[in-house]
Amino acid sequence: MSLPTVSNVPSPARSSANVIRLGQVSVRYRLPHERYATLKEHTIRWLQRRVQYDDFWALKDVDVDIAQGQVLGIIGRNGAGKSTLLKVISRVLRPTRGHVWVRGRVAPLLEFGAGFHPELTGRENVFLNGAILGFSHAEMERKFQRIVDFAELGDFIDAPLRTYSSGMVARLGFAVATDVEPNVLIVDEVLSVGDPAFQRKSIERIQSFRAAGTTILLVTHSLETVQRMCDRVIWLDHGVVVADGMAETVVQEYRNQMVGSESIRLAKAVGPTESQRWGDRQVEIIQVRLLDGQGEEQTVFETGDSLVVQMDYETNTPVPSPVFGIGIHRHDGLHISGPNTDFAGLELPELKGTGCVTFRVPNLPLLDGLYYISVAVHPKDGLVMHDFHDRAYTFRVINVNGKVKEQYGLFSLGGTWKHTPSWSAPSTALEAPGSSRNGLHV
Amino acid sequence: MLTSEANLPTYDSSRPRFPILEDARELVHYHDLLLSLVRRDLTVRYKRSALGFLWTMLNPLLTMLVMAVVFSTAFRFPVEHYPVYLLSGLLLWNFFSQSTTIAIDSLVWGGGLIHKIYVPKAAFVISPVLVGLVNLLLALVPLALIMFATGASFSWALLYLPVAILLALIFALGVGLFMSALAVFFVDIVDIYRVVLTILTYLTPIFYPENVVPPQYVSFYHMNPMYYFVELFRIPVYLGRIPEGYLTARAALLAIGAFILGWWFFTRKEDEFAYRV
Repeated sequence: MSLPTVSNVPSPARSSANVIRLGQVSVRYRLPHERYATLKEHTIRWLQRRVQYDDFWALKDVDVDIAQGQVLGIIGRNGAGKSTLLKVISRVLRPTRGHVWVRGRVAPLLEFGAGFHPELTGRENVFLNGAILGFSHAEMERKFQRIVDFAELGDFIDAPLRTYSSGMVARLGFAVATDVEPNVLIVDEVLSVGDPAFQRKSIERIQSFRAAGTTILLVTHSLETVQRMCDRVIWLDHGVVVADGMAETVVQEYRNQMVGSESIRLAKAVGPTESQRWGDRQVEIIQVRLLDGQGEEQTVFETGDSLVVQMDYETNTPVPSPVFGIGIHRHDGLHISGPNTDFAGLELPELKGTGCVTFRVPNLPLLDGLYYISVAVHPKDGLVMHDFHDRAYTFRVINVNGKVKEQYGLFSLGGTWKHTPSWSAPSTALEAPGSSRNGLHV
Repeated sequence: MLTSEANLPTYDSSRPRFPILEDARELVHYHDLLLSLVRRDLTVRYKRSALGFLWTMLNPLLTMLVMAVVFSTAFRFPVEHYPVYLLSGLLLWNFFSQSTTIAIDSLVWGGGLIHKIYVPKAAFVISPVLVGLVNLLLALVPLALIMFATGASFSWALLYLPVAILLALIFALGVGLFMSALAVFFVDIVDIYRVVLTILTYLTPIFYPENVVPPQYVSFYHMNPMYYFVELFRIPVYLGRIPEGYLTARAALLAIGAFILGWWFFTRKEDEFAYRV
């Protein structure tokens, strides 16, 4: 691999407004044609003049200027080049071609726990992590108390990290990474961990960075977060910027495009792998279908649509009245729901041969996102499992045409709103907005 | 929060680079990272053991005892003060073989971080060698004990030891840098290197005296670089005199050559690590 060349790429002007300038940035990964990563094989191939590579361009001629204080979201499907773009900006990866210019200290918010060692105490880990971020011991000593306070660790700071809960590790990691007062903060899919209280605290800290003029680059699968936090969004596809603009506009374009392509891609991914499946197989779930209201197989639904889960089973021995159930998880592992035939009061007879069990949701309340379905069949006492497919089926919920316009949170409660004015005289119209007559705020 | 414009560090990927110098400057800037990594390795190693740092001293002592018994009864090498002869060779050899073996793995092992954040990557290679140095210095205590117990003489020549250790350190750094960069590209380098080390263990005068080597093979025998570093360390300890000038000169040449080659290769290939590891 040759060093990056800079010929015929104009040097970008050092405009004070921009903190990051990317000029025709391309990143090429060379994947050996077959996997021969050993010296022996490589030598043999080289002697035979058969070293061949597949070139994979993770980024192609990306031109982006990012102004100071911008909160930029980067969206795109997996493998679109989002992380590569962040790596190029954070100096982890030097571009194969093109030009990267960054002014100021860049701090990546590391995946929580990266760079931590379980045998070291919290205190030792703070100093180690600070050193990895490029701070001297003296600088870390000044920051230390603030970090411990923010992470709410108290006396645990002198206990080995292996005794921490995962939440405590997450808090410590976030506290160290964000005490650095960076000029550019890079956040890659890390905001969805930790308990809700700490998540709120994290968001607040990021908001305060934003208020102080820090440039923030955000990669996340949550389009909701992108819409809420970003001023500007870049949509990457196969290493190319396909859209760049206002968050609302780009996210909406992205959603529209996904309706078409996503259903094709997801439809192929149906079915459990060996590691996702266990049970004694006295009854087997041999096929699972996700259907829409018209009985068509679907993998993309809209909020408010019907969702039907059909499970075909086959028994290997007669099984006395088992229970069928499903589990729904959000992509980040949050367990949303776990209905089964027993909860619903449906008593199945002794099963012999084949059949089908159906679960129907008339109005899918879930909002925009990627969800997993697990299916299970087990005896009523729940002591053993006949067959379990752990999160083997995927569907996506998208709001396009907007039957339900809600955007925040996990699902729509389907509640209704009503406004009842308690004044009628014109004089009350002069009151300040927000004041209320119902006594709650008086 | 934002420091004044003039102080802001600026990164420009298209600026012409001289990695062989710039990386050295970066490493100086990140010297606390280097120290933290060394401290981490030492702390982790001794934290959960009852004897803690004593192990560093006991370990070579016990190995030496076993070997001393085996070789002085089974092979009967006619070597006076055999425990001192053996231990002096063994300590320097262990320093070299252990620190370079760990250094080679370190980039592949530390690969997780290399993918996530910018750090001078050489720190991951240099720190295990420095850990090895600390262990070597601690192991000088049992060496002194053995010398005292066997009635060996302590001479002024021992003041030469810092030179011997420094040269071995520079050599180990060079080998570690070179091999670790190579190991990023070829995974079997680690295994090949282990085999080479095993062979070298027998081609270096560690537990046998040099005079058992048949005269016609001596010039070949002296092509092993480790011969010089072991000799430089052993002569002051065991013979109580300063090593001959030509030995020092050759060792210095080897050490500096290996270091320059290793540093040059490492810094030249460094940009590709994140693409490969």
